[in-house]
Amino acid sequence: MPLLALQNLTIALPQGADRPLAVEDVSLQIGRNEIVCIVGESGSGKSLTAHAVMGLLPRGVVATGGGILFEGADLLKETQEAMRRRRGPDIAMIFQDPMAALNPVMTVGHQVAEQIRAHRALSEHRAQKQTEELLGQMGLKDPRGLLKAYPHQLSGGQRQRVMIAMALSLSPKLLIADEPTTALDVTTQAQILKLIKRLQAERAMSVLFITHDFGVVADMADSVAVMRHGRIVESGTTRQVLGSPAHDYTRALLAAVPKGENYLPPPAQAKALVQVSGLTKRFRRGGLFSRSPAITAVDQVSLSLSRGETLGVVGESGSGKSTLARCVIRLLDPDAGEVLLDGADIAHMRERRLRPLRRRIQMVFQDPFSSLNPRQTIGDIVTAGPRILGEDAGQARARAAETLELVGLKPECMHRFPHEFSGGQRQRIGLARALMLKPDVLIADEPVSALDVTVQAQVLKLLDDVRRQMNLAMLFITHDMRVAAEVCHRVMVMRHGQVVEEGLTRDIFTAPASDYTKALLAAIPGRQWP
Amino acid sequence: MSFARRFFASPPAIFGFAVFLAIVAIALAAPLLFARGPLSIVDMPLLPPGSPGLLAGSDVIGRDMAVGLAYGARISLLVGIASTCCAVGIGVLLGAIAGYYGGWLDDLLMRVTEFFQIIPSFVLLMVLVAFLQPSLGSAVIGIALITWPQVARVVRGQFLSLRSREFVEAARIIGMGDARIIFTQILPNALPPIVVVSSMMVGNAILTESALSFLGLGDPNLMSWGSMIGGSRVAMWVAWWTTVLPGLCIVITVLALNFIGDGLNDALNPRRRG
Amino acid sequence: MKFSYIAGRLVKTVLITVAVVLLSFFLIRAAPGDAATVMAGQTGFADEAYMKGLRAEYGLDQPLPVQLWRYVSRVAQGDLGTSYVRRQPVADIILERLPNTLLLDAFALLVAAAGGIWLGSVAARRPGSAGDSAVTVLAMLFYAVPQFWLGMMMVLVFAVWFHLLPPFGIETMGADYTGLARLGDVAQHIILPGMTLALFFLASYARLTRTAMIDVADQDFVKTARAKGLTERQVARRHILRNALIPLVTYAGLQASLLVGGSVLVENVFSWPGIGTLAFQAVQSRDNPLLLGIFIVTAILVSLFNLITDIAYSIADPRVELGR
Repeated sequence: MPLLALQNLTIALPQGADRPLAVEDVSLQIGRNEIVCIVGESGSGKSLTAHAVMGLLPRGVVATGGGILFEGADLLKETQEAMRRRRGPDIAMIFQDPMAALNPVMTVGHQVAEQIRAHRALSEHRAQKQTEELLGQMGLKDPRGLLKAYPHQLSGGQRQRVMIAMALSLSPKLLIADEPTTALDVTTQAQILKLIKRLQAERAMSVLFITHDFGVVADMADSVAVMRHGRIVESGTTRQVLGSPAHDYTRALLAAVPKGENYLPPPAQAKALVQVSGLTKRFRRGGLFSRSPAITAVDQVSLSLSRGETLGVVGESGSGKSTLARCVIRLLDPDAGEVLLDGADIAHMRERRLRPLRRRIQMVFQDPFSSLNPRQTIGDIVTAGPRILGEDAGQARARAAETLELVGLKPECMHRFPHEFSGGQRQRIGLARALMLKPDVLIADEPVSALDVTVQAQVLKLLDDVRRQMNLAMLFITHDMRVAAEVCHRVMVMRHGQVVEEGLTRDIFTAPASDYTKALLAAIPGRQWP
Repeated sequence: MSFARRFFASPPAIFGFAVFLAIVAIALAAPLLFARGPLSIVDMPLLPPGSPGLLAGSDVIGRDMAVGLAYGARISLLVGIASTCCAVGIGVLLGAIAGYYGGWLDDLLMRVTEFFQIIPSFVLLMVLVAFLQPSLGSAVIGIALITWPQVARVVRGQFLSLRSREFVEAARIIGMGDARIIFTQILPNALPPIVVVSSMMVGNAILTESALSFLGLGDPNLMSWGSMIGGSRVAMWVAWWTTVLPGLCIVITVLALNFIGDGLNDALNPRRRG
Repeated sequence: MKFSYIAGRLVKTVLITVAVVLLSFFLIRAAPGDAATVMAGQTGFADEAYMKGLRAEYGLDQPLPVQLWRYVSRVAQGDLGTSYVRRQPVADIILERLPNTLLLDAFALLVAAAGGIWLGSVAARRPGSAGDSAVTVLAMLFYAVPQFWLGMMMVLVFAVWFHLLPPFGIETMGADYTGLARLGDVAQHIILPGMTLALFFLASYARLTRTAMIDVADQDFVKTARAKGLTERQVARRHILRNALIPLVTYAGLQASLLVGGSVLVENVFSWPGIGTLAFQAVQSRDNPLLLGIFIVTAILVSLFNLITDIAYSIADPRVELGR
């Protein structure tokens, strides 16, 4: 008998949602000592399915059909109290954002002990002793000191380890992991995945792993189910589904995953359009009377960029890549160094002299939901730049229609507002806004990080096409090495504000020189996947 | 759903709006309906409501309560709206500059608002009004002066958070100047909390004005709800209507304004639950 | 606890107090009606020589900067000057009345906080229910009621119609109770004015608590708490309420500050002998030293309350570091 069996599970959404059923007729089995992944894009219903197993569906969302059989007993028919007793000893769950998932005002030790004491009659002291051991098993250093720490004092990776310790404290038979690594840096992600795999093997535990990343599926799962719009479109062993996908959607998803293999050829030799040397930016925390040390976000960074080429800047969070981009485009004022645009140093130029030059460097932002003014129409947003430069409104609108078509949108959308468009469409609008000024340099700051993988592939292709057509010099910021490999001719790796390594994409990926780059490459999920 | 539809979807908001309109109507119509004004003596003092010709009874001197209540509406609305407009005008201007530019301008504004928070504001108001001689104008100026810091704080907070939003960065990149960014990009997005705070402030201003008149610091030539209550203190124990009725008027008016404020809040922030 | 932070805040308090003194000094001096005229008017003597004598006695004939300097240096030594009207040291007058106001304020704070938080958490448990709507409507009602009128209504109902509680003052006059009997007497007298003051803030606490609890209930760590198998009561108490209390600490500090300077109306209606009544009388009689003294004492108290609030907040929320 499988440990967990979902049988024709159907979950309904409350009135007014974009579709009536979040999950429709889903059937799935998880055996003992097995890792099963549910993979899908946002809105596929994968997360709600996981929440339903724990009985943690949000208010208004109800399971209306089918059954969830755990060791033969239907969880949907159990009382609240019976379900409560299962949470922890039978089934446990970890969530995506460990910072949000831990109570900010309770110490780590107390929170984990709370889980233990909810089901076992132990004193606080004994429970905390057990906690200390657990934290050590999770690979955390100084577990005793951590007992008294608060969540905000820990790093992302440490917090997720605490969550895992909490979940495993009562040795559950089934662990549900809802995108547990999505909010973490890529190197941390690799460590957490390794940890989960190790613990699973040690305890012969079953794991239901929710993810959107096929690389993770390849590394972790024994079996996988692909969900789309609330239904399972394909399922089977990992080897089957990844090796010979039967359904069109699965094939499209797999094709959209950036492989990081087809390296772009080295760019044609051209004179550098943008030359940055010794760029430095420091931030000082606190007000006038604060004595806290300054953080050097960007430390003596140099780079050069020519027309028609894309330079990727890759790094984890805190590496300074976004700050670098903002200094180059003068959204921030650098403390030292030069930024030469066609020979003119714009790094320390006064705003008045800088303004006419601004149109030559434009930017596409990361968050499609806050990069467009929610109270302006698309037409106004896109034509604002040229109109400020003096272009006639009618002419600007005509050009806007053309530019929108160029990025794959219909000109009619000029009358609509941002909230009527999807994330991918909004990124296209952001790109159109940038292109309207006929820039020479385009900076793309994590333009696809917030998008689903199929949409991501489309937008990446669009960026590459546009670069070629308009012969732009493109600076591409990203934390995802696979994405960098898809669109960049050269790649620069950053860490703690400094450049660690730089070179042609092919060279960086096949023969990395620095240890950090090697670690980054090794951390890419699914690297061993054919 | 458009803004108007969302606003009128909530029964309290409709109720508040209707009541507010009614009060405005009465205030505007008062000189037409009661041409003799509220200060003239019409009958014996302390007659109960329902006495012939006296819908709301008469007060301690023998003036018509109903006329007094109608004219009192004019004062309350006038002071409430005028002082709020002034306070909002000052507060938005200073708050926007401080929030957008930051630095020492922001520090300065924060020190000033802290100062106003530390001083007992009602006592300061009393001093101001006494200094300027109690009148309608001094009430408006005084109330505006002690309430603008609230608005400025809200506006500053909004501008601080909005100025680092990506669409504002985008506006800077395409070459928009500061003034244009403030007015066309940030301000329209900062409006919702400003509107909500303003509607609450009108209610508070009406309460403050009535407190001033109650203490005898209102305009001595005008009849206001607060002065009616203040003047009826001696008679309260035997003639409850002289105190209760003006007070009810205040409660109903401020309640209506607060319902409107809540309705505005829900209509402008549709994502908020509960 | 960083002592340097506390020391810094105390310095800031001194600076702000100085600013208060300066501003109020000029404001009050600028008012029409010289103090001597006022005082002379009271005593009935209006002749020039007497007024000149008064001015010399109070140093009003000196140039403004000199007056200011003398005042500031005296304040620094704890001497707040002499009241024009009562001919007593201002500091003594204020110290005599201050405890009454503080007592009233403390009562109001406790009642408002306890009652409001309880009501708010009850409402938040079932949002949208009849109980929740009732709490919301009640809260809105209390926001709209003028304090002085509410006080008068309370007197009307509880003292006049039902003879349950005394209508004014802090103790029964002429009764000369001592010890426990006195305590009981004061306790009876404090109920009506205290409740009047408390009800407005109670409404605020209820609304804030309700909103805070609803917002917190949506957060991920509450989901985690349920996933751990805790009972609903444990989740509500240890996770939701505990986090919802954080913004309430700030509000409590705000309330304390508002109360200290804002009890004028309630004290007036109930003839409560506190500094609110004192302030009103000082404004009426143009008693500048007394008025200034009240401003200064209030400013110092509010600064102290702000400091206590900030410290309490950093204890309630470990994410906050003092001295940012």
